[in-house]
This record gives sequence, structure tokens and C-alpha cells, in this order.
Amino acid sequence: MAEFDSRWMNAWQDVVNNDATLSLIGRYFTTDFLIGFGEKEYRVSVREGRIERITDNLSIETPWSFALRAPRESWERFAQKVPPPMYNDVWAMAHPLHGRLKMDGDVKVMWQNIRALTWMLARMREVPDHAVVEERATRV
Amino acid sequence: MSATHEPITGKYVYVPYGGYEYRVFYEEAGEGIPLVCLHTAGTDSREWRHQLADPDINKNFRVIAFDLPRHGKSIPPVGFEREEYRLTAKFYSEFVMAFCEALELEKPVIMGSSMGGNICLHLALNFEERVRALIAIEACDYSPGWYISWLEHPHVHGGEACATSVFGLMAPQSPEDYRWETWWYYSQGGPGVFKGDLHFYSVDHDFRELNDKITGNVPIYFMTGVYDFACTPEMTQQTADKVKGSECIIMEEIGHFPMCENPETFKKYLMPVLEKILAAEREPTKA
Repeated sequence: MAEFDSRWMNAWQDVVNNDATLSLIGRYFTTDFLIGFGEKEYRVSVREGRIERITDNLSIETPWSFALRAPRESWERFAQKVPPPMYNDVWAMAHPLHGRLKMDGDVKVMWQNIRALTWMLARMREVPDHAVVEERATRV
Repeated sequence: MSATHEPITGKYVYVPYGGYEYRVFYEEAGEGIPLVCLHTAGTDSREWRHQLADPDINKNFRVIAFDLPRHGKSIPPVGFEREEYRLTAKFYSEFVMAFCEALELEKPVIMGSSMGGNICLHLALNFEERVRALIAIEACDYSPGWYISWLEHPHVHGGEACATSVFGLMAPQSPEDYRWETWWYYSQGGPGVFKGDLHFYSVDHDFRELNDKITGNVPIYFMTGVYDFACTPEMTQQTADKVKGSECIIMEEIGHFPMCENPETFKKYLMPVLEKILAAEREPTKA
């Protein structure tokens, strides 16, 4: 089960930054976006398709372009190796029929980068299991 | 050495409708009962390539898939640059029948997915005497939520955004190569075409008060995949419950594009439906 703690976020960052496709399709994907797992929120700083930094040190002065916020349970299902119906995609979760994820802020930036963002989020399914993640140093 | 060809041939036909002659591209293969296949919103008839080429299907059916005007190889009508494209139930249903008439198809089976599934309800209501059976894939009486501006916004890459917006409609169990092929089709729609189609899909198509007006004289087979978040199995089932003469088939491990995201899985569900249509043909005494 994905923990969405600092170690897990760093493990996801590693998977993303080792992904060869993202360096191609994410060439123009540069922004800071907010991702919320229930109460726990992080700002993800993306530069040309790479995650440069993830921080949970947020204040009202922390800028971000768009936000993806969902209950932990939604993200847990999304991050499964084979996600169940209605949870396999952020637009599926955010669609007005379902409302399991909220898209906020300057969503134009999100739609401009939707392919690279979708690919980046799908990499959550490749984050190694908890035991492996535990061994890694936390950087958040 | 001879080259490998598929059994599909493509042609152009002029379809008169509303005082205009539309130049329409279609592909076909096989012989038998005409089976007209309708593509989903914002894309074209390539979605049906597997069923067109399948000998188990085209040995008994003349499988035909056409591109609506503005889609694939069917050019838009003259003056399109001065209009906002908004597909309506009236144009769509009447144009499908005009195409069938142009090809002189006698009582075709019509099979469509997504907006092509939703239009089957309108065909059942208005043209029941002219169709043999309807296969409404990923269809329901009301499918809101898709008429959104980002799909045509000039600050957003239409190909990437339209294609990625539908990627999650496919099941993770569907082969990755077919899912990306479907993404590829979606990346190639003209500006505003996907959104214009979605005007029918999410706005003009509201059949909630009309379900019980369908007589049931024409069999309707609803088929929906469990990963379809635009038209969920529950939405299809609730519609089918109200439509006389219908059957509801829920398909496991597949999403919104059964014919192209996973033709093998789709075939397992489609063949029994086609068998029923053939069986009805063999027993024409049912009056």
C-alpha cells in the first residue's frame, strides 16, 4: 500500500526522473503543482519533465499553478499496479460524474501538459514496495 | 513473393443530405447482412479495423465503417471555417440513415460506440422500420460532463489533450499497443471536432424522458465495459432497464473503446450477439 510519506514521494521522484519517455514528452513541462493526499500536501516542482524538488513545507506564500487533491483512499486505488475501474486516471477521478479528485487553480497549465502529467502520475504504480522505500534517505 | 493485404477496401461515396452532397469515406469487408459501424467522438473509422478484417465476422456480415463529415477522410462541408461545429442528434441520426440509403443497404445492423452507441437510441425511436438490430456500445440515456473548453482551447495542444483525456477510459488490462493506437487516432482530430461531437454526446443527447417511447420492435444490445467512467455499467443498466426489447451486457476488463482497445476481449462478447442476429434471420416467422 502506498504511504505517500516523504520516503514514498522521493521514491516516486526517482522513478519519474529515471523514466526515459518523460524526458521526451515532458520537454516543455515546467511548473510547480500541488498534490494532496487527504490532509497531506506537497508541492512538486517540475522542470522540463523532471521532478526537481518536492516539498511539504508549504505556506500561503508557496506558489503553485494547479492542484490535484483527493482523499488518500482515491490515491491508494490510483497507485495500485492494476487500478480498479474509475480510479485508473486523474480525469476519471475528477470527472463531474465521480468527483473523487478535485482539480484547482490554473488548470490550463494542467491541460497544456496533460500527457506528460498523466505519464508522470502513472509512474506511481512503479514505486517499489514499502520495505524498499524505507531503506532510502528522505529528501522532502 | 506476394505482399500481405488486409481484406478491407476503402471508397468514397457522395451522400446527399440537407441540400448538400457530402463526400464520405468508408471502408468495407465481407458479405452478408450489412453491419454499419459508427466511430466514437473526435476520431474515425480506423477504430473498427479489427472487426472489418475478422473472418469470423465478415463471413456473415458486410462490415462497413464510415467517417462522419469532418472526421478521418470525410472532408468538412464548404464554409466550415465560418461555423462552430456542434453535432446534434437530428443531423447525426439522419446522416447515418442517409449514408445507408446512399449505399442502398437493406435493413442494416447498426453498431456504434460511445456517441455511436448513444445515437442508436435515436435510431430506435425514429427509424425502427429501417434497421434490423442495434448494437449500442458504451451507451446510455444521458452522458454529461464532456463538453469542456480545454478540448478546443488554442493555448492547449488539441491532439495531446483530446487523446490524453480519453486514455483513462481504457482498461489497464487492454494491450498497451492497442491503447496507444487509440490514443493516436484521437490525436488526429481537426480543431474543435472532438468538442463539437461532445455537444451531441453530453448536451443534445438527453434521452431520459424518451427511453420508454422505444417500441421494442428492433432488438437493442447494450454493451458496456467496466472501466468506462464516461458511461458506467450502472448508467447503461439503468437505461436498458427502461428500453423495451433490449439486452444489457457488461464486459469485464475493458473500457470505453472495446473494438480498438482490446478486440480479442470484445470479440468474446460480440460474437454471441452477432449469432443472435443471425439466428433471428434464420427464423423469420416471428411476426
